[in-house]
Amino acid sequence: MSSIVFTKIDGGKIKISKKALTSMKKFIQDNDCKKEAGGVLLGRYILNSLDIIIDEITIPMWGDRRKWFGFFRSRRPHQKVIDRLWKESEGTINYLGEWHTHPENTPIPSDIDIRSWKHKLNHDVFDGDSLWFVIIGIKSLRIWELSRNNLSYQLIGESYYSEVENV
Amino acid sequence: MADVQSQMIKFHEAIKLKRFDENETLRDKREIILKRLNSGLKKLDLDPTPKYEVIDQGSYAMDTGVKPLNGDYDIDVGISFKISKDDYPDPLEPKKWVYDSLVGHTKKVEIQRPCVTVYYQISGEPAYHVDLAVYSDKDNNSDGKIYLAKGKEHSHKENKIWEESNYPSLINLMKNHFQDSEDAKQFRRIIRYLKRWKDFKFQSKGNAAPIGIGITIAAYKWFAPNKVTNPFDNTTKYNDLEALQHFVGAVLSNFQMVYSEGVWTKRLEVLLPVAPGNDIFTKMTNSQMTVFQERLQSLFDSIQKAQKEVDPKEACTLLNQQFGCDFPIPDEKDTAQKRSPAIVSSSASA
Ligand SMILES: [Zn+2]
Repeated sequence: MSSIVFTKIDGGKIKISKKALTSMKKFIQDNDCKKEAGGVLLGRYILNSLDIIIDEITIPMWGDRRKWFGFFRSRRPHQKVIDRLWKESEGTINYLGEWHTHPENTPIPSDIDIRSWKHKLNHDVFDGDSLWFVIIGIKSLRIWELSRNNLSYQLIGESYYSEVENV
Repeated sequence: MADVQSQMIKFHEAIKLKRFDENETLRDKREIILKRLNSGLKKLDLDPTPKYEVIDQGSYAMDTGVKPLNGDYDIDVGISFKISKDDYPDPLEPKKWVYDSLVGHTKKVEIQRPCVTVYYQISGEPAYHVDLAVYSDKDNNSDGKIYLAKGKEHSHKENKIWEESNYPSLINLMKNHFQDSEDAKQFRRIIRYLKRWKDFKFQSKGNAAPIGIGITIAAYKWFAPNKVTNPFDNTTKYNDLEALQHFVGAVLSNFQMVYSEGVWTKRLEVLLPVAPGNDIFTKMTNSQMTVFQERLQSLFDSIQKAQKEVDPKEACTLLNQQFGCDFPIPDEKDTAQKRSPAIVSSSASA
């Protein structure tokens, strides 16, 4: 399984590293026993470019409440990881957005998702213009961008696991 | 996508062999040999003692040298005797003057087909060798041409020849190839990148490795500067990776089907732009040529992958596999902008 690359609204690239992709894919809700999962996206704003790389993700942690359909991510354990990676990387690994899973082939954000995304764009403190949101479906993942300059959410890419698998 | 120009420049700094005037050790070695030659010639009791001119040649003179991976530095000097080739039908005679003047100077001095070689060792390992090419000066020949003394002592008579060779003028050709000094610098960087790639990928001896001068002449023919000028502040940014991609692509497209060794095969032909105008790669066998082409193609593919790669660290890892350990792989934190910390809220999803 390799990494994947999408084009952002501003024309720069956003890459999901192999490592981040592998960890998210472990939570694909492809059977009834798996509950919804999620976490935050962390990575680099590349020097001299508009490019971004999602290097790391957090996975469900203590305090999170997981159901088959619904996920509540508590603040503190994820914030701790964000702080630690930011410090260790001398300020270069940054908070970029969130991910979660859906038990459907092609993921479509729910009203709750969209409300939550907009809330995060307006209330989270972060040093950037956009946040990105990944939903891991059963057959594909999709990624949306929410920009401070343009409050509507925009689908910027979709990747079928079957295509990535053989790369 | 990934901008690796700063890593390319670091790589270049690591492999660049400084020119004579900047490199004391090599300059000293060269001076010692030339002094020894001067006194040695006088002791030979030739009447009159032959006059000569020293010509800088080779990658030092062209400023395209790379540090050798095996530690065996190679210094090229031309000794142009003020003699007419017609007075010396046996080209080995002036070569022997050089040999006899220098023999005993180090453990090993040898007459090779194109030159006389003096080997230096440091604790048993080859450290330097100096190749002295012996010429008959153009001012002393009725046709005004420069001739190189070729052949070894026991060569067949037909292999002992004076070959027209305007190799010394190659230096000027290379020096004056680009008007813009920054373009000229990129030209020399591209040559050095490919020469180091060659040393790294062809570590065996012999003609299996394409020779450095072949790469230099190929660049003279097919390299084009690659840069972008910002119209607002008039600054110019060179893109060495793209320049290298175009150049390697051009070399690959110049492999042509030819009939050689009794079969049709793809070969690269690069003619020396000065006399004798021969194909520099002619000594490579068909199978060596095929390996050369395959490895160039692999280099080309890696460059393209690195260009598409978003992550500079991964792009450099790909290039490091082609160019060897001197190609730097940056730490992740050195590839990214420093931003202020984030504070996130809790969130719900469904
Ligand atoms: Zn959802």
